[in-house]
Amino acid sequence: MTERLLEVDGFRMHFSTRDGVVKAVDDVSFTLDAGQTLGVVGESGSGKSVTALSIMGLVPSPPGEVVGGDIRFKGESICAMSEERMRHVRGNSIAMIFQDPMTSLNPVFRVGRQVAESLRVHKGASRAEADAQAVELLDLVGIPHAHERARDYPHEFSGGMRQRAMIAMALACDPDILIADEPTTALDVTIQAQIIELMEALQARTGTAIIIITHDLGVVADIADRVLVMYAGRPVEYGTAEEIFYRPAHPYTWGLHDSLPRHDVPGKSVLRPIEGQPPSLVDLPGGCAFHPRCPHATGRCRTEVPEPRDIHSGHKAACHYAGEPGFVRGSEPGATREVGA
Amino acid sequence: MRAPAVTTPVAPTSRTLWGDAWRRLRRNKLAMAGLVWIVFMVILALSADLWVPQHFGDPERIDTENLLELQLQSPSAVHPFGTDRLGRDILSRIVYGARISLTVGVLATSISIVLGLFFGALSGYYGKILDTLIMRLADVFFAFPYILFAIALLAVLGRGYQNVFIAIGILGWPSIARVFRSSILSVKESEYVDAARVLGAGDSRIMVRHIMPNAIAPIIVYATMSIGSAILAEAALSFLGMGVTPPTPSWGLMLSEARGFLFSAPWLMIYPGAAILTTVLAFVLMGDGLRDALDVKLKEEG
Repeated sequence: MTERLLEVDGFRMHFSTRDGVVKAVDDVSFTLDAGQTLGVVGESGSGKSVTALSIMGLVPSPPGEVVGGDIRFKGESICAMSEERMRHVRGNSIAMIFQDPMTSLNPVFRVGRQVAESLRVHKGASRAEADAQAVELLDLVGIPHAHERARDYPHEFSGGMRQRAMIAMALACDPDILIADEPTTALDVTIQAQIIELMEALQARTGTAIIIITHDLGVVADIADRVLVMYAGRPVEYGTAEEIFYRPAHPYTWGLHDSLPRHDVPGKSVLRPIEGQPPSLVDLPGGCAFHPRCPHATGRCRTEVPEPRDIHSGHKAACHYAGEPGFVRGSEPGATREVGA
Repeated sequence: MRAPAVTTPVAPTSRTLWGDAWRRLRRNKLAMAGLVWIVFMVILALSADLWVPQHFGDPERIDTENLLELQLQSPSAVHPFGTDRLGRDILSRIVYGARISLTVGVLATSISIVLGLFFGALSGYYGKILDTLIMRLADVFFAFPYILFAIALLAVLGRGYQNVFIAIGILGWPSIARVFRSSILSVKESEYVDAARVLGAGDSRIMVRHIMPNAIAPIIVYATMSIGSAILAEAALSFLGMGVTPPTPSWGLMLSEARGFLFSAPWLMIYPGAAILTTVLAFVLMGDGLRDALDVKLKEEG
């Protein structure tokens, strides 16, 4: 049995704003073991990034407030940690890389220095030691002539190289968990594949657990063991990558699949987008938050919030009808009426 | 004002951002003219004892015997800028006045910068109540007419040139604090600051290593220009009789003494006036050039 690194248990993070309470993360649960990769998928505003920042203990309060649940890192509650303890965890045990490598590196420092920084902060390494290790790390993430490139400034690096440098920075202290917040969104498609491959290769080497946050199911398919699909701050489906891809149980996950271009499925040349817009988090529709966009919605969906239900052991979906016989991807809208009655 | 861009066919690869900025600054002719003039004035002020006709740095060496015979002489080979009512050589006084002006300018600006950076950093980084308090205090400073406030301060502190730069320095902090605060606010939101925080860096490390270097460019520009305004303020205060005490040579004081001789001995006014004008202008041009040179957005085309 591998070590349980992270337990997110019924976690709720709400923001109080002038317009009302924003339930940015509402009742999210998942676990992460050493060496595992979790994909968190959802549209903008679905709470993916806030979940990540909550794990880092970086949601500013106010306005953010933990109103329920807990996040435990190796059994220790992150929500209850002192800022000093948390600072020790950040970068050292849990590292994070961001979406836009163009702006995530400090323009006035040489790249090597930035990679070396967390070694100086956490390991108390001397400048020379840290610089030498930084060159090794840059070499590890596949930057050619790392010795010379370490002395370059960020503006002399290309986008893909910067993301590699960011990964080197994140991995400097050999963290237990690496959180990647849309690590490939700002990159070219070919570079995206390279970065994903790099992360997989490094994971195989170091055993770091990865949480990859994305709105791209394709990215998740490549790398994730387990997948959490989020919508409007709530988890809608959680299961192994295989379950999410081959036996998705929630209409929203179906919608995500339908809006994905596929070259391996003959006849599927037309993309079917999910109709409508994600709801405003201040003014969520009653019942299931997805019901206004769901072709299968019934009266029950408008009034009753669906609790996540077990489809299979570990495979959960937050839909009243998930797992009912006949309620599968591609079934006709309207079939639910008889099924759910 | 921006100097016409001189296009160099091959941009040399740079190793440092400051090297880049210096290269851009060097291409700006007006800024370089300002810089040359500033350097010239500094050299003049420092080397004054070696060559000026009368030594006002050292009272022992003033030839008091013959001073009265020399009063109000028009410019000549011996006294290129003429002499004043007491027979003192104008050139000597301008050169020694440069010491006072430059010292006041630099020290006053240093005081403003120290205070301004401190309060601006607190205000921008921590925000909330501290921000409101500091910014409202700055508003109070801005609400008073500058010269009146300076005169009031000097009335409390007393005259003399230390008090002049202290007063000017104290009055200068709110502008620097505002400029620094706003650049911190924009840098603070940048992703590399988030990245540093994610790395586990503490507040002070983030402030000093990540925010300061990125927010300092506007301060450098502002400080350069503010040396010019401090020189001007010193001249104004001395002119009004609230600044440097006679017989210390000060450009403002010299202008003040020239008032009665506007037509009979115009050199009394022209030369100190020109000294103030050129020096202040030099700092402004230099600051303007620095603004262009340090602008990150222009850099890409560099």
